[in-house]
Amino acid sequence: MQSANMLLKKVVRSSVLPFAAQHGMKKDLFPLSRTLSLSLCLKQDNSCTPSEKTDLDAWKKVMKSGLQEEVSETVSEPQEFSSLAAARETLEMWRLAGRSVPEKVSEEQLKAFMECPSKSAKKKYLRFLYLKELHKKNDRRKMEEKRERRLEAQEQTSKTEETNKSPFACLWASTMDKAYNWRAAQSMIFGQPLVFDMSFENEMSVREVANTVKQLVLSESCNRRSVDPFHIHFCNFKDNSLYHTEFLKHYREAWGKLLITVTDQCYTEVFPKDKLIYLTADSPRVMKSFDHDKIYIVGSMVDKSIKTGVSLARAKRLGLETAALPLEKYLLWNTGAKNLTLDQMMRILLTLKDTDDWKKALEFVPKRKYCGFVNKPISELKKTDLINILKLGKRQQEVQKGFAKNYSKKYKLNQK
Amino acid sequence: LQPPEKPLQDEEWNRLRENFQLPEIFEEVMLNSMIRCNSHIDVAKSLLTHMAKQNGDIAYNMLVKYLTLCVQQGQVSEIRDVYDIMKVRFKILEIGAYNLLIKGLSNSDQWRMALTILEEAKKIMIPSRTSYESCIKAASRHQDVKLAFELYNEMLAKNIVPTLDVLQYFFDFSMGMKGAELQKELFGILLYLRENQIYPHKTFMQSIKLWFESIPGGNWRGQLTNIKDSGQCPVCNHQLEDSNLTEEEYNNLSERIIRDVIHGTDTFRKTSPQEFKAFQTFVESRLPFDIVIDGLNVSHIKPRKMQCENLFEAINCLAKENVRLLVLGRKHMLINSSNWKREIMKEMQNKADFFFADNISEDDAFLLYATLRSGKHCKFVTRDFLRDHKACLSDSLTRHLFRKWQRGHQISKNDGFFSVFSQQPAFRYDCVVQTTGDTWHIPYKDVFEEKYSYRVPRKWLCVQQKR
Repeated sequence: MQSANMLLKKVVRSSVLPFAAQHGMKKDLFPLSRTLSLSLCLKQDNSCTPSEKTDLDAWKKVMKSGLQEEVSETVSEPQEFSSLAAARETLEMWRLAGRSVPEKVSEEQLKAFMECPSKSAKKKYLRFLYLKELHKKNDRRKMEEKRERRLEAQEQTSKTEETNKSPFACLWASTMDKAYNWRAAQSMIFGQPLVFDMSFENEMSVREVANTVKQLVLSESCNRRSVDPFHIHFCNFKDNSLYHTEFLKHYREAWGKLLITVTDQCYTEVFPKDKLIYLTADSPRVMKSFDHDKIYIVGSMVDKSIKTGVSLARAKRLGLETAALPLEKYLLWNTGAKNLTLDQMMRILLTLKDTDDWKKALEFVPKRKYCGFVNKPISELKKTDLINILKLGKRQQEVQKGFAKNYSKKYKLNQK
Repeated sequence: LQPPEKPLQDEEWNRLRENFQLPEIFEEVMLNSMIRCNSHIDVAKSLLTHMAKQNGDIAYNMLVKYLTLCVQQGQVSEIRDVYDIMKVRFKILEIGAYNLLIKGLSNSDQWRMALTILEEAKKIMIPSRTSYESCIKAASRHQDVKLAFELYNEMLAKNIVPTLDVLQYFFDFSMGMKGAELQKELFGILLYLRENQIYPHKTFMQSIKLWFESIPGGNWRGQLTNIKDSGQCPVCNHQLEDSNLTEEEYNNLSERIIRDVIHGTDTFRKTSPQEFKAFQTFVESRLPFDIVIDGLNVSHIKPRKMQCENLFEAINCLAKENVRLLVLGRKHMLINSSNWKREIMKEMQNKADFFFADNISEDDAFLLYATLRSGKHCKFVTRDFLRDHKACLSDSLTRHLFRKWQRGHQISKNDGFFSVFSQQPAFRYDCVVQTTGDTWHIPYKDVFEEKYSYRVPRKWLCVQQKR
């Protein structure tokens, strides 16, 4: 009954409004109340006799009534708006139309949106912002849930007893940090250098640079946490470059305190040339084992559009030795490009340094990209071995397709 | 979800809604399925009424969905009503709604209104090409030819690519109409096809032919034909345009190949400056060549054969008297291996000039350079479509030049030995729409969707004016 009343009220409110609007929005109570009762009766009539045909255009009246109200409100607003406001308006309409558009858009993002060269670029950018917003919202929700759970747990423990004391002192994060920093400091004196070449800014879009820096931050942290860290060098690093501003966003004041070497010099100026090895997926040479006396260079570049040969060109120009990871040799490659992310490279190199075990090191290659590991080089394997490995793989169909593509020349798979 | 047959009452909608798994999106899903099933609009109306009563408002996307249904069924008065509601309710609409409105109204006697909506849509974004096309069709249906061409030209100015459909439409409705202005515009469309190397399909070609023949007092005669390999039209004996580029185009293309393909952002990506320099002096000292061969590509023609044998056969096949051959390869070919026998390599080097690039360099770029440097008569042999090199060229005009030059200079099919090649032999004539004033030659495709973009049509429409 209550809900029915509510419903009626709503209908009444909306059907009253055109009337009020027609009369110039006079705030006269008397005529208002009269229509109120009138329409009440009308609606009641309607609901009493469901068999009677409903007014199919009733929604139009409702819509028109609601909007008159809004129009009278908006009329006073200035008619012309700036291009920014117009863009904001467009976004709002897209959102209403159910497209992937974020709820909140900052001025900066709006400008970036307007600078997008094409319709599809605009859509893509908005979708990116939308997903970002969605992730943020989800994270916030999860945090809140966690906090509530923690509060509940605290209440329960405070009710029961005081906490039982542990014989060990609790190792807080700051203590761990100190230990890590000791190791990193040691590596800066005795550690093996690892160079990140920061000269690719011109090859990348703003978003690619942001991704690069994110990956570098990840690599730095897992290097710091390792047992025997590398001495990280950022070479060709220009102050006030895009890299720099992105790093400041991530590290803030900690940027100055990082235990790494940052220089605007090229690696060839810092180290002897014959010790340098440039790691690039395009290299014709394949790495056999990890050399503890060499200095490996990794290009700090994310290329979403797969620009081949960019880092190889750097090495060629300087006449450096190059190497690629032996991915083809040890992994039955399935899909995806053979260039790995910077943090994956870092983990692989760290593992290689510590264990010299390719199987362990190549664990860090994303599982989706390969379907099996072989101890012997693939060219030495027999057909039956290969099939056995493939059978172990989960997505056989896919795997076989990928396999057929990669190795069809050498082995003909029996599909039956 | 099956939409109901006839309009429902509130309670019935409520019941349906409760039975649905996700009540929050019930209305949306319901409207979508109505669009899919093309339900009667009364059913949709009753749902809208239900929604209006429930919430006192109807969301924008619901209105758009209803509009879609109305447009689908051509309910003009409903479209107008929805537009009125939207116009007062929202300051601007988004492009999807505009497109729908234009599409819906342009098919009715309210087509003028579609034009005003098009104007409105222009304020917020570039309207879609289908919107333009609806308006163009509406305008021409109502004999406003001038307006139709204005819209068409506006579309081109905004870099919107018109569909073949609308181009054909221009020819269809101009049938039998007189006027120098109109004729000029339609010739303009044909030249547009020429400039963008677009080939009309069969029905479009028929429209063109009929239009030509319908020009009052024009005395045009159209005939379907195949052009001879010599480039002569068997109907009117007219010699088609040469596939060779003009001097200026040729120089432009060679410059751009060096700049964009070989050097690009970094010379080291494809070669190195020393190597390129060495190659340049090598080529300059031995110019001009008649045929340049992509050694590695040719050596893979028959997979069962030894690679150097394949190459040897190719060279023997091409080497005739006074033909200067250049073979491009990589250094690894010089190392004696199971695929590359030193003796055979030696023998080949007596018959042709060889240049060996570094193993990590790209030899294709050298192939292009050597061919272009040798002059217009020089051809090259490879099965490669060279798509990646074409993609390095930054503007579409140069890419077209490249394609044209490639068509005229790439050998990829020959009797016997080269039968493996899937591409066509080098063309002597240029395969584009062309005119001499009193003749038109228009290549056309048999089907609407041509599978291979590199394949050019062999069938032509020859139109000539009898005086």
